[in-house]
Amino acid sequence: MKKRPRLELIVAGALAILLLVVMPALNAWAPEDSLFYVSNFTINVWGKYLAYGILAISVDLLWGYTGLLSLGQALFFSLGGYMIGMHLMLMIGKLGQYKSDLPDFLVFLGHWFLPSFWKPFSNFFFAALMVFLLPMILSSVFGYLAFRSRIKGVYFSILTQALTYGASLMFFRNDMLMGGNNGFTDFKFLLGADVRTAATQRVLYIFTGLALLAVYFGCRWLTRTKFGLVQRAIRDSETRVLFSGYSAANYKLFVFVVAAGIAALGGALYVPQVGIINPSEMTPDKSLEAVVWVAVGGRGTLFGPILGAVVINALKSWATRAIPDLWLILLGTLFLLVVLFLPQGLISIPARLREMLRRTKPAPTQAPAPQNPNIPAP
Amino acid sequence: MALRFFPLLLCLFSLVFGVARASNPAEVVSKAVLLEDKTEEQISLIQSADPEPQLIALLTLWKEGGILLLEKPDKQKVPVRLEDKKDADDKQAAFLLDGHPLLNAAGQPVRLLASDLSAAETDSELRSAMKSILDLSGLAAPDKTSRLQAVETLGMEQNPARLPALRGRLAKETDAQVLHGINEAIALTEIKSADPETVTSACRTLGDLGSIRSQDALGAIAKESGPQARAAQDALRKIELHLLYVNTLGTLFRGLSLGSVLLVAALGLAVTFGLMGVINMAHGEMIAVGAYTTYVVQCIFGPGLELSPFGLHLSFPSLKATGWLYESYFLFAIPLSFLTAALAGIALERFVIRFLYRRPLESLLATWGVSLVLQQLFRLTFGANNVQVASPSWLSGHWTLNDVSLGWNRVFVIGFAIVIVIGVFLLLSRTPLGLLIRAVMQNRSMAACMGVRTERVNRLTFGLGSGLAGLAGAFLSQIGNVGPSLGQSYIVDAFMTVVVGGVGSLFGTIFSALGIGMADQSLQQILGNPVLGKILVLAGIILFLQWRPAGLFVTSSRSIDN
Repeated sequence: MKKRPRLELIVAGALAILLLVVMPALNAWAPEDSLFYVSNFTINVWGKYLAYGILAISVDLLWGYTGLLSLGQALFFSLGGYMIGMHLMLMIGKLGQYKSDLPDFLVFLGHWFLPSFWKPFSNFFFAALMVFLLPMILSSVFGYLAFRSRIKGVYFSILTQALTYGASLMFFRNDMLMGGNNGFTDFKFLLGADVRTAATQRVLYIFTGLALLAVYFGCRWLTRTKFGLVQRAIRDSETRVLFSGYSAANYKLFVFVVAAGIAALGGALYVPQVGIINPSEMTPDKSLEAVVWVAVGGRGTLFGPILGAVVINALKSWATRAIPDLWLILLGTLFLLVVLFLPQGLISIPARLREMLRRTKPAPTQAPAPQNPNIPAP
Repeated sequence: MALRFFPLLLCLFSLVFGVARASNPAEVVSKAVLLEDKTEEQISLIQSADPEPQLIALLTLWKEGGILLLEKPDKQKVPVRLEDKKDADDKQAAFLLDGHPLLNAAGQPVRLLASDLSAAETDSELRSAMKSILDLSGLAAPDKTSRLQAVETLGMEQNPARLPALRGRLAKETDAQVLHGINEAIALTEIKSADPETVTSACRTLGDLGSIRSQDALGAIAKESGPQARAAQDALRKIELHLLYVNTLGTLFRGLSLGSVLLVAALGLAVTFGLMGVINMAHGEMIAVGAYTTYVVQCIFGPGLELSPFGLHLSFPSLKATGWLYESYFLFAIPLSFLTAALAGIALERFVIRFLYRRPLESLLATWGVSLVLQQLFRLTFGANNVQVASPSWLSGHWTLNDVSLGWNRVFVIGFAIVIVIGVFLLLSRTPLGLLIRAVMQNRSMAACMGVRTERVNRLTFGLGSGLAGLAGAFLSQIGNVGPSLGQSYIVDAFMTVVVGGVGSLFGTIFSALGIGMADQSLQQILGNPVLGKILVLAGIILFLQWRPAGLFVTSSRSIDN
């Protein structure tokens, strides 16, 4: 039992070095025609995967560790993205289509001056603060209301789904002054650096990787404290936790708010790399997609969600080009099969194989078990 | 004796007189067209003719520029009309205004190029004279809608010259709605009069009639001074009250019909989610199955259907039905949608959900996978665009009661919701199957001990829930678009409805569906913005669950986990 965590740490460390040091180094310094060259496209795509990995961990922290299936994580993810997007929009300056200080869509909607809530976003640090603050405030209000009235299980899922749906309806509206249908795009500068250059993208990629690493270790620490124990106890039997004198609602609220913050961080790192954010990112379907990554990777572990996010998105990148018609069928079927036959996800495959091996080859030191024909094999 | 012949004589007399006066409409129009620049003579000519249907048709054609002038070699002009169909040389067959083909000297039909001819011109004076003839003729039209329309246009003209015609029609008219319209038109014209007393009484009439379209005209009078201004103000107040009443009733009706739609969509969910506790995210796709079944049935009755998903070739034969048989396709589509969706549901239960009864959160995820697959299958089979489902004629159209317009399809949805709610209630409470369903849902192991085959009951219950979704699809196809993501647009609302109503309570679902429908429509009316209304409803639901976490109707249980 002690061996696995150490193995996990070794694998995580090795992957971190590969992704954070080797790949950017090869991208920066390897000659373009060499076998080891990592293209700008690859760096960009992996940056996206890693941002998704952060979102996946936030889903897992709720679902895998606390038993709360939140379908609102895509909302918090895109809120984080929107907050940084507002800053990026203001940084375009006069380089937009309309050569105005205002973001293009505001000019298009006939505005002459910046709405007051946009003004502070020209400061990067305010925007960075809002990335965390807004989703965490929203999640604490919603979580307080939901957990106080003891909404749990599927009801919680349905309510978070409704929250996300309502929010996406709101962001689709033009008079929300958040870009409406088209959202924000055409970013130019972040902290003085041109986000369209390979060097900036590489730095963003490294930052995403570091953030993922930090989130990973942070959650690892959190789930191993006494708090983490209560968290899992709530997942397994909430009533027993209540009867033992713990205030389950407060624990759940804390996890929900933390997870919202993590998802928002992922979104804030995702948007400058992908270069666009629009309301279709915050639909309930996107939340469910993140749940798929976690389910496929393996919930209740911290490595599984990252694995799932990378594997499914790599598969998606390939399938949407190779077999665009069948991609959704493939995703749906994969998901169905994982839920039915591999509830612990891909990460449980080695353990399962070991289990199967152990069963087929009984250990030689063990005496052969007495055969009882009345008891069927387990 | 002489009296017996009198009508005959009269007849003969008028015939002779009529012929002498202007002969037939084609000749009148031809003559008028050839008068060209002499507008006054043209007007007097067309005004003197009897407004019979042929004249009306020809005048309409003239007004729209459909009468062309052909200049013969001898400089004589002939008014002609051209057939719509063009041949390879862009030539069209030419006809005289009386409908006979235009013949050349050799007695052969002539084909002409439209660009060689000039249109018979009309100036504004002539056009307004034509319009008044056309409008007046609408007053005597046999069908009620054209009469209503004519009355409306005449009223809006506010031309005192129209009053005799309107009064004349008032004496003959029998239909209450048209009578209402004529009274309104007369009063609307009379408020333009110079006599203050006529204006005052006209204002009073308009107020009593609750005439919405006279608001602008009354507003202008209300700004003046004197008794007529006071009367206009009174009338405006009355009209505003009437408007409030119309809007309220309209909102109530729309709320009721939206509630019925929600109810129909959520009733199946109330069975699968409420009674069985299964979260079926593919419920929306079951609705789509029903809608597509309706589409296929319609195509079989109509032009037939060719589908080629995955390179397979599916061909549905065509019955080439027309008339009432085609119109009745919907009656066949209803049971078929139920059956198809029920079979799809039973298959889903058999292969997926059966394994997940103990893991509700995972049944949510697995069925979401199923819903993705189904959506893509629809897209591959029927195309990514919406398909056209034509409403039978007995479902399109609307009643207008006292300015409140009631769409037939919406009325039908309300009636249908009532029927299926009663049907489901009877099924659950009066049939052996219903007894078994209730027994299994209340206490599965006890029912199994009593010898109930719970697996089979599960399957049938799930089939029932999915079949109800299919029925919902058949009806939604009549009031909205049918496309691959049809189900997605209803699933969130349907879940909300069930949760608010109280899981496990069919009556709760009914109340919450109607409540949400009403709230949604009233907020739309008040805020004037559909999306904002919807967002407020969602927020309202979240707050409502603070007050009653288990919904409207709580099914009591001794289990601590429920």
